[in-house]
Amino acid sequence: MTPLLAVRGLGKSFSGNTVLSDLDFAVHAGEVQALVGENGAGKSTLIKVLGGVYQPDRGELLIDGEPARLRSPRDALARGIVVIQQELSLAPHLSAEENIFLGHFPTTRFGTVDHGEMRRRAKELLESLSIEIDPSVPVGRLSIAQQQMVEIAKAISLQAKVLVLDEPTAVLDEKRVATLFALVARLKAQGLGIVFISHHLEEVFRICDRVTVLRDGRKTGEAPIGEIDQEWLVARMIGRDFPAHARQARRSGKPALELRGLSRRGEFEDVSFAVHEGEIVGLAGLVGAGRTEVARAIVGLARPSAGTIRLHGQDVRIDDPGTAARLGISYLTEDRKAQGLLPNRPVRENATISSLGRFTRLGVLNLVRERTYVRDMIGKLDVRSAGMGTEIRYLSGGNQQKVLIGRALAVEPKVLIVDEPTRGVDIGAKQEIYALIEQLVARGVAIVLISSEMEEVLRLSDRIVVLRRGRVATTLSREEASEETIMRSAALAA
Amino acid sequence: MLRRVGAGRLGGLIALVVLIVIASLLSDRFLTVPNLLNVLRQIAIVGILAMGMTFVILTAGIDLSIGSILGLSVVLYAGLLESWGLPVAITLGMLAGAGAGLVNGIGVAYAGIPAFIMTLGMLSFARGLAFIYTGGTPIPILDETFYNFGNGYFLGIPIPALVLIATLLVSAFVLGMTPFGRSVYGIGSNEEAARMSGVPVRLYKTVVYVISGGLAALAGVVYSSQLGIGTPIAGQGYELDAIAAVVVGGTSLFGGKGSVWGTFIGTLIIGVLANTLNLNGVDPFVQQLVKGALIVVAVFGMSRANRT
Repeated sequence: MTPLLAVRGLGKSFSGNTVLSDLDFAVHAGEVQALVGENGAGKSTLIKVLGGVYQPDRGELLIDGEPARLRSPRDALARGIVVIQQELSLAPHLSAEENIFLGHFPTTRFGTVDHGEMRRRAKELLESLSIEIDPSVPVGRLSIAQQQMVEIAKAISLQAKVLVLDEPTAVLDEKRVATLFALVARLKAQGLGIVFISHHLEEVFRICDRVTVLRDGRKTGEAPIGEIDQEWLVARMIGRDFPAHARQARRSGKPALELRGLSRRGEFEDVSFAVHEGEIVGLAGLVGAGRTEVARAIVGLARPSAGTIRLHGQDVRIDDPGTAARLGISYLTEDRKAQGLLPNRPVRENATISSLGRFTRLGVLNLVRERTYVRDMIGKLDVRSAGMGTEIRYLSGGNQQKVLIGRALAVEPKVLIVDEPTRGVDIGAKQEIYALIEQLVARGVAIVLISSEMEEVLRLSDRIVVLRRGRVATTLSREEASEETIMRSAALAA
Repeated sequence: MLRRVGAGRLGGLIALVVLIVIASLLSDRFLTVPNLLNVLRQIAIVGILAMGMTFVILTAGIDLSIGSILGLSVVLYAGLLESWGLPVAITLGMLAGAGAGLVNGIGVAYAGIPAFIMTLGMLSFARGLAFIYTGGTPIPILDETFYNFGNGYFLGIPIPALVLIATLLVSAFVLGMTPFGRSVYGIGSNEEAARMSGVPVRLYKTVVYVISGGLAALAGVVYSSQLGIGTPIAGQGYELDAIAAVVVGGTSLFGGKGSVWGTFIGTLIIGVLANTLNLNGVDPFVQQLVKGALIVVAVFGMSRANRT
């Protein structure tokens, strides 16, 4: 069968960097094609070529078997190729029906918008897709999941033949994912070709018919979903095996950081726990349990209303992150974009912004020493970028995170608080970040790990403090801790 | 990648060279030593103001009050000179400039007033002070030494130009070679991230307005010594010329990106343009038009260069 959309021998480079090379990829009617790969594997670039944003440097693009050129996203749209980005592109103040028909409103004889006809057609369309949304509500008032549905409905109204969904489930909870997948199944039955991108591999097995794996801009595997398993996928994505992680709790030293009855009104209450040198304490809990709030109070970003913080046996007062850093407490933020990156500054400056003092003599920066230090750090943390002069916004999520870890380490912390350290980074970088955390703890650093990923908490922590509604629900030893015991303490009312 | 890093400044430099080539083709007098020194003398005041403005804009702020602060310092120099002598007059005038900057800084960094509003208020306030102090009439300056400072030469170079170059070098050093300068870029790039990294954000934000106010008073020294008069309307609208020089020089109004070298080039571009229009006898009203167009075109060109 002729694919609806295909690329053959596709190559694409940006200022000398090859991003895609010799790639074959095809989408058939009535098929869900998964596209998986680490961040930076070339998925986004491929999507942009399919969507007419980028032109191929080499190779050709075929629509219904015929070579075609897509000069712009508009071109792609006209040929029935619709890409739905992670960041939705709806007009929040317009209603669902207005969004769906934006650009091709049904009109009356006088050239004005025919609201009745628009309402009728919107209802019909949403019904045919079994989407339960009131078409007259402004989309800004709809949930993200519903907005996604509106965007898909819009695509269908544009006579889409190929629908590319770029990580549609990243922003959805489990129930909404099921609704989305039901819709995808209906579209597939209607004969659309669908490209589905996700970091969650189990989803790929749930709804896809075929999978294509990319690594470093090349295809490293393609197979019908029934013939493969998760390990097959992971091996092709990262090109190496996972280390096993069953182990004993570490033997830890003296207490490094102790919280005693720490409270902050409206956020958390009477939180007490200790972290020892050479130990990782996991801070688990549901979203909103107060984990990040506790961390922010420790590093002086918010003032506790009661309780004390002890560091190496002495009470300390921490008013701002600068003081925390001088005392040897470093915090790796959960919100890399808003609170971590200096986006338009080079990697070098991002790495040293919190530790400029160590490169300063008599008020003057020693740029040579700084450079040497950063070069060394980039090597140790395996940051992959064009160089330390590259603006950090051009790096992949994983590499950005490594630079921020480097920044936290540059103050030579005795206590390191890492908040969602692997959020938004790919599988390979995740493993490297784990290895890094393990190295640090082996050197005697006391680490507090905040993470919503159960697997991560269980793998790394020696003890786990579970917070529930701002209070310590329980502390679990490594032996006691399991997904079940944590969830039970975190989620069940006392 | 390299192109990306250097695009802003390189683009400005190329524009300057092109402009110089055109200017020398249009008039024989352009590429002569006296004329070039004259250009340097003429750009000194706005150049010094633009250096201070660069600090502020790098933190994603803006300082609309520098023209008025210049005016305030100018009347203080003129008024205090007679009875207190030159050193005291200069010191007090400079302190007034830095003090006005300090008020701006505290308002912006500690009280959280938007920089645009805070410095707009200071624009009116400082100008008001200058008028009250003089009663609206200019004060003549009759000090030989002072006059020579503004109109004399050192090693064949006009002294105002030397002041500008010294300001440039010190500013470049502070921005490039000190933790403070590095933090200024950090604050402009992502203030919250800078705060989380232990940068004393509020203190440093205050300091950039003090620098801006202080440099406005320094520009006031050049202004009053060049003209030999302390007039309360001195420097009106100069803040906009300074902003123009900064953005033509490739510094982003969103903060975190740019340099005083770029600002220097931006000042030169505007100065050379004005000079060449003058040499060719272009109507001053038309000059305004050309300058306006140049600013927009230059910034548009640079944003294009940055994108590819």
